[in-house]
Amino acid sequence: MDNVIAVRDLRVLDGKKTLVGPVTFELAAGSTTGLCGPSGAGKSTVLRALVDLLPHGLTRDGHLEVQGRTIRRGNGDADLRSTVVLVPQTPVVFGGSILDNALFGLRHLVRASRADMRDRVEQALREASLWNEVRDRLDTPAQTLSNGQRQRLCLARALALEPAALLLDEPTSALDERSRDTVEESVAALRGNRTVLLVSHDPAQVERLCDHTVRLELPETLALSSAAV
Amino acid sequence: MFSVALILTVLIGYLATGIASGDVDWSDLATNPTWDPMNGTFGALAMIYGSAVVCALALLLAVPVGWAAAVALTEYLPPRLAKPLRLSVELLAAVPSIVYGLVGVMVVRPFVAALGDVPGGDSLLAAGIVLAVMIMPTIVAVSVDALAAVPGRYREAAYSLGLTRREVVRSAVLPQARSGMRAGVLLGLARALGEAIAVFLVVGRADGRLPESLGGFFSSLVHPGQTLTAKLAGPEPMLAGTSGPYFAALCGLGIILLALVAAATVWGTRGTSSRATKRGLRPRRASAWLRIPRDRLATLLRLGALLLPGTLLVGMLAILVTRGSSALNPAFWFSPATGAASGGVSGQILGTLLLIATAALIALPLGYGAGILIGAHASARTARVLETVTVAIGGTPTILLGLAGYVLFSMTMGWGRSWLAGAIVLVPVVVPVVALTTAGRIRSMPSELTESALALGLTRAQYIRSVVIPYTWPATLTGLLLGLARAAGETAPLIFTATVFFGAPALPTGIVNSPVQALPTHIFTLSQDSNAPEAINQAWGSALVLVLITAVLLSLAVALRNRFEGARWTT
Repeated sequence: MDNVIAVRDLRVLDGKKTLVGPVTFELAAGSTTGLCGPSGAGKSTVLRALVDLLPHGLTRDGHLEVQGRTIRRGNGDADLRSTVVLVPQTPVVFGGSILDNALFGLRHLVRASRADMRDRVEQALREASLWNEVRDRLDTPAQTLSNGQRQRLCLARALALEPAALLLDEPTSALDERSRDTVEESVAALRGNRTVLLVSHDPAQVERLCDHTVRLELPETLALSSAAV
Repeated sequence: MFSVALILTVLIGYLATGIASGDVDWSDLATNPTWDPMNGTFGALAMIYGSAVVCALALLLAVPVGWAAAVALTEYLPPRLAKPLRLSVELLAAVPSIVYGLVGVMVVRPFVAALGDVPGGDSLLAAGIVLAVMIMPTIVAVSVDALAAVPGRYREAAYSLGLTRREVVRSAVLPQARSGMRAGVLLGLARALGEAIAVFLVVGRADGRLPESLGGFFSSLVHPGQTLTAKLAGPEPMLAGTSGPYFAALCGLGIILLALVAAATVWGTRGTSSRATKRGLRPRRASAWLRIPRDRLATLLRLGALLLPGTLLVGMLAILVTRGSSALNPAFWFSPATGAASGGVSGQILGTLLLIATAALIALPLGYGAGILIGAHASARTARVLETVTVAIGGTPTILLGLAGYVLFSMTMGWGRSWLAGAIVLVPVVVPVVALTTAGRIRSMPSELTESALALGLTRAQYIRSVVIPYTWPATLTGLLLGLARAAGETAPLIFTATVFFGAPALPTGIVNSPVQALPTHIFTLSQDSNAPEAINQAWGSALVLVLITAVLLSLAVALRNRFEGARWTT
């Protein structure tokens, strides 16, 4: 099986200081991989490093390959981010309708007829298990959706781009128990069809949803200093 | 709040009695271009035209550049660079308009004169450019605030879908910041409409010019014209007396002006409009055509737009320091003026300090009371109304305050020119700033604080005294300093009520007929004598002194503000 993403000795640096890593892993096409580790180890930061969305001042170090192409440091661009799509932890819903939100990335990236766009959006909403709940009200404001629905909407607009890999950053931690279950079901439904890297602090969730697990440890410098305390 | 009501009553009362004192032919005022007091013809159409053209020019020049520069500041520059630039833009927004007027006289007029066949360069175009330069920092500063208030997660969510920076700004950031950026423009428009002094100096003040064709329109731009404010700042209010049709017609001009400014202010402070949400519902078109080149072009244009305010900043500093070098000599600060345009400006500095100190004493309790009323006593709906009214007062053209003060204090009460009248007229400039910063701070008070205080059985008054006041005083003080920085540079309210150019003792000894000298009046008078190099040197020196005083007040305020969270009200 081909690797969609291959990472070797990835670190996130603040100047010379290592904040996160090193970590090494590969994402096989169609697999769901869990990224877990103690809080503060920088799980979310690793996801941002993969798509070059690190906060200002932090840099990525190490080897990163996406679909066989080496991504050099600071060389991430819109192209990379539409191939490997990050879904942030808190669902972000933009002003406008549900359809607007589902089209949010797609309408910039693809030249296609309105009908084709709509088909792709419908496909994505089905894949995110949201279609049945919103099919009759695509034109209503997206702000009316519940938190769990919002998170699935975010998932859908990422899926609409047909990404090579999805990076899910704690997709359920901002949700209550019931919405958590619905989002988990949607993620479970992707298994086998999509390449997913899932960050979670909940080992049981990783157990339920993932084929492989990558553990991220605290970097040595931080581990030592916390051991000293 | 009582104070705010009082100011409104006095102002409206002045305008109303003015109209009542003689018949105002409103339809003539609005449609007749001829203004001829000698023959009893009072038509303001040419002035309305002048005001409209001047403001339209200012917006046309300032809005695209200002918005693009604001986007560049928040979305393109790294924080290390953007932070000091933001601060300098705020400083530029607080530079007194008289200084912009001086720049207009010395820089813009020659520039326009070189453009076309304009003797001296006095023209609507020159006034438009001066106003554009003046309101651009305001537009940038308010827009930057609106953009910076958009949470970072919106940007992240958009970037992570593979959007280019241009697309992120357009689709994720601008829709959120749109109403704030529009408010900045309307605030700028209100400032431009109400600006009397800077316009007065460069517009040419030619009555009755109204073009009749398109060609006439274009040629009217490079010819002298007249605006509502420039008319009111001229000598006519003093010639018209305090009753009769002439006076009434001038008050009519004031009412037109006030209505225009109030409309702009109220529109600007209104929350998100219903139209904005409706627009959001319609699926917007976007194209994937030439994404990367268009992104590069947008980057280029936006960073390029930064050049203009940047040049402005550097240019203003350079011109102030090189031309105003006399101010770098301590003797200039501490010796009195000798003759019309030599010696120092110690009398003017003392006069300015006296005026703003007195204004501060009066404005502090009034503004604080109003702030507490808005923040702690009023219901949410009343508070919103009161707040809008307060903002509207803050945006009142100061020339109108000056005229109301002139009629009330100088004529009716017989004070003549009096420093106290000047200080009182400056109070409405300071009060709204104090009230709004205080109210904003009260609103940011954690509700636990209020709850636990009231749960202990404190009365309303005890609660205010022991909880609200200790929590809000830094904000109040910041507001006071910001307000004073504005008041220090005001010229229009003072020229009729309180200041003379020359021949007053440094400190007044009574109230009646006790004028002072002040820096803004000094610059104003000197800059009308632009052919005398002596006078101009003196004017630049005084301008630098004035800017330094404003800068000191402002940096004190910024230092205080940095110790707590709060809204910005420099503009």
